[in-house]
Amino acid sequence: MAALVTGMRIIVRFSKGENVRYTSHLDVQRLFQRAFRRAKLPLAYSQGFNPHPLMGFAAALSVGHTSGAEWFDVKLKEPMDTDEFIKRVNAVLPKGFLVLDAIDAGEFSKSLTSLLVAADYDIEIKGETDGLIEFISDMLNGEIIVTKKTKGGIRDINIRPDIIAHKMCKTEEGILLRIRGRLNVDGGLNAELFVNAIRAKCGLRLIVNTHRRAMYGNGAFLPNIPKEI
Amino acid sequence: MDKNTLSELLSKVEKPARYIGGELNMTSKTDADYSFALCFPDVYEIGMSHLGSRILYNILNKRTDTICERVYAPWIDMEKLLFERSLPLFSLETKRDLNKFNIIGFSLLYEMSYTGILNMLDMSGIPLRSKDRGEEMPLIVCGGPCACNPEPIADFMDVVMIGDGEELCDTLMDIYADSKRRGLTKKELLLMLSKHEGFYIPAFYEPIYSGSGNFLRINKLEDEAPKKAKRCILKNLDTAEYLGELIVPYMSIVHDRVPLEIFRGCTRGCRFCQAGFIYRPVRERKRETLMKYARELIDHTGYDEISLFSLSSGDYSEIHELVHEILDEFSDQDVSISLPSLRVDSLLKEDLERIQSIRKSGLTLAPEAGTQRLRDVINKCVTEDDIMRSVSDAFESGWHGVKLYFMLGLPTETDEDILAIAELARRISRLFYSMPKEKRGKGLRLTVSVSSFVPKPFTPFQWVAQDDIETIMRKQRLLKDALKGIRGVEYQYHAVYTSELEAVLARGDRRISNVIEGAYRRGARLDSWDECFKREAYTDAFIENGLTMEQYTTRVHSLDEPLPWDHIDMVVTKDYLINEYKKALNEITTKDCREGCNGCFGDRYADYCKIQ
Repeated sequence: MAALVTGMRIIVRFSKGENVRYTSHLDVQRLFQRAFRRAKLPLAYSQGFNPHPLMGFAAALSVGHTSGAEWFDVKLKEPMDTDEFIKRVNAVLPKGFLVLDAIDAGEFSKSLTSLLVAADYDIEIKGETDGLIEFISDMLNGEIIVTKKTKGGIRDINIRPDIIAHKMCKTEEGILLRIRGRLNVDGGLNAELFVNAIRAKCGLRLIVNTHRRAMYGNGAFLPNIPKEI
Repeated sequence: MDKNTLSELLSKVEKPARYIGGELNMTSKTDADYSFALCFPDVYEIGMSHLGSRILYNILNKRTDTICERVYAPWIDMEKLLFERSLPLFSLETKRDLNKFNIIGFSLLYEMSYTGILNMLDMSGIPLRSKDRGEEMPLIVCGGPCACNPEPIADFMDVVMIGDGEELCDTLMDIYADSKRRGLTKKELLLMLSKHEGFYIPAFYEPIYSGSGNFLRINKLEDEAPKKAKRCILKNLDTAEYLGELIVPYMSIVHDRVPLEIFRGCTRGCRFCQAGFIYRPVRERKRETLMKYARELIDHTGYDEISLFSLSSGDYSEIHELVHEILDEFSDQDVSISLPSLRVDSLLKEDLERIQSIRKSGLTLAPEAGTQRLRDVINKCVTEDDIMRSVSDAFESGWHGVKLYFMLGLPTETDEDILAIAELARRISRLFYSMPKEKRGKGLRLTVSVSSFVPKPFTPFQWVAQDDIETIMRKQRLLKDALKGIRGVEYQYHAVYTSELEAVLARGDRRISNVIEGAYRRGARLDSWDECFKREAYTDAFIENGLTMEQYTTRVHSLDEPLPWDHIDMVVTKDYLINEYKKALNEITTKDCREGCNGCFGDRYADYCKIQ
């Protein structure tokens, strides 16, 4: 990745709310590009026949999940104040999306994805939750086999090793399960597959909301993994 | 629809973003005196690509007394979920049940969407037929190009709006509001509407058939209703309301860009083209108006592409100035421009080069027929030299993707006409590969896309017989074989069965309502989707109703026989269409009416047209 001579690389954290949880990763990329254009930001574009803004997301979020900590970086042709950036983008974003942080990346040129190590998910479960805590605890004590579609076809894999830590508590309406999953360049825990495994194995009618509450990195920009979950 | 239920359904369907609403620039109204459900009988990404309903959305929501919300047909997965749980269809804006709206309006863009209308009504517990709906039921209305022959869907509709929707929708709401204030009945409302231009009330007319089942005439049942329903024409497009703040979808839709309608109507008079006749006269928007819209829409949406929208964009009186002005205006914003419906004879090399300086897209040309003789028959006044020059310009400008549209089954077509398509493709391919490598693109992508001719009402070919299925299939094979071995050619052709049904639904009489309902009851819906199309649902419905497809497709209609749409006045006269038909058979072309009036409106409405 060529260094920018006069421009600026901004690292952005944003949240995705309930009303837009069913938009896809591609939809989100596109809507930010359009929001930047509406905000008249001095975007830097790729060269070539189909110029596109230079943006890189840390990790895609599953369709249906909400998040308080999605990250991407974007390149500008000329520098601008990061507070100004937040103000102008939030003024034009569709309801449900909010930029929370914008950080000047300075000379730092690595991709956000390369920094990733883990992510925390809050899985809120409502519906027929009697005995579900015990059931999930048992699940977490053994292998969790899910069927995954890969390039080589459909195969069964154990996703338990991708779960670094977890905790669970009862809420007024059901259960709150917090999961810390491995997440890095090579992949990691797919929270949706984990939720589907709970659904499939318990056989109960559940209403599940999955929220990514944090993404962690080692060192620069992304927060370090805290000890507590 | 409550939030939790909806969320659960969304987690189970393939493209949930079709049903979430809440997009940027969606109306912020939550209530008003009257509610209007703007329905498109196909899925979100198709319906949201329809310019007309997006204009109407703006116009209706501009009214303080009306809230207009969008409803699209669900895809089969969502339909199944709603059906299993007995949930009604809902709007995107406030998730209100479709049957809770005062007025439900359907856009009729293509015939193959008719079963979608029935499905949407049925899913909401609304009786399909107008006669079965009481005072408490929403008013069901429709409009759009297919409304010019409203008979196949007449039994389902309370009101059919014929002509430009901008004025019609405002008039409809004014009269509706008035009728509510005065406490009038539905019948009284319909009578009031029938006296205004562009409103056709099917219940006030009754078709009469002969003992042998031929359509004879339309009987008027209400004394006060007009003899003919006349199209409503928007006189001044330039001052008409346009899109306002355009909704920006989350998911990718078919036409995902700023649409700039530069003019309505067409002066060319291609004889197969319904739009070319039913949108007359040509009405342009001024260049400064268009530039104002372009700036506003780019600002509101953040789109990076503007599409110049019309039936023949190259014919806009200031097309080159407009293209250059747009490119100059947005030169620092990387906004590209696309010109669909660009005629081959109105293409300039300089424009091509400028357009592609931003983004490279393919060149699309529509010669429609392979020989000059057949192009004369259909009045597509494009010569082979025009085509070769355009293609050559495009190649020299570095383009290497060209798409050519043709039709099979045109009136008077012979095998020679079909083989000439392949010859044209061969010439284009040779031209590309004869150019020095450094002067042209890498590999040619020449797409020959072929559809089958469908005779449409209010065209000079409305009397013509459609080729039968076997003939069309043979012609498709003939062309396929002839195209073999031509370097860089890709052959695309359409399923013949949908064209056959399209002809039935386009030229149908009121008995076709029964066929449509019969097919719907047998599972037909989303008929324009290959994976959903059920031909047997229709063939069975025809048998059930004692009708045949052939009487609507392969039968030549005689010039003096009454037509089921004769009581609709689309302003272009029947005499003109007859004369055009006769000229076609004699291979005589008709000049573009910008070069002088051809008198298509007759004496009655001659002053409607400002070009002269």
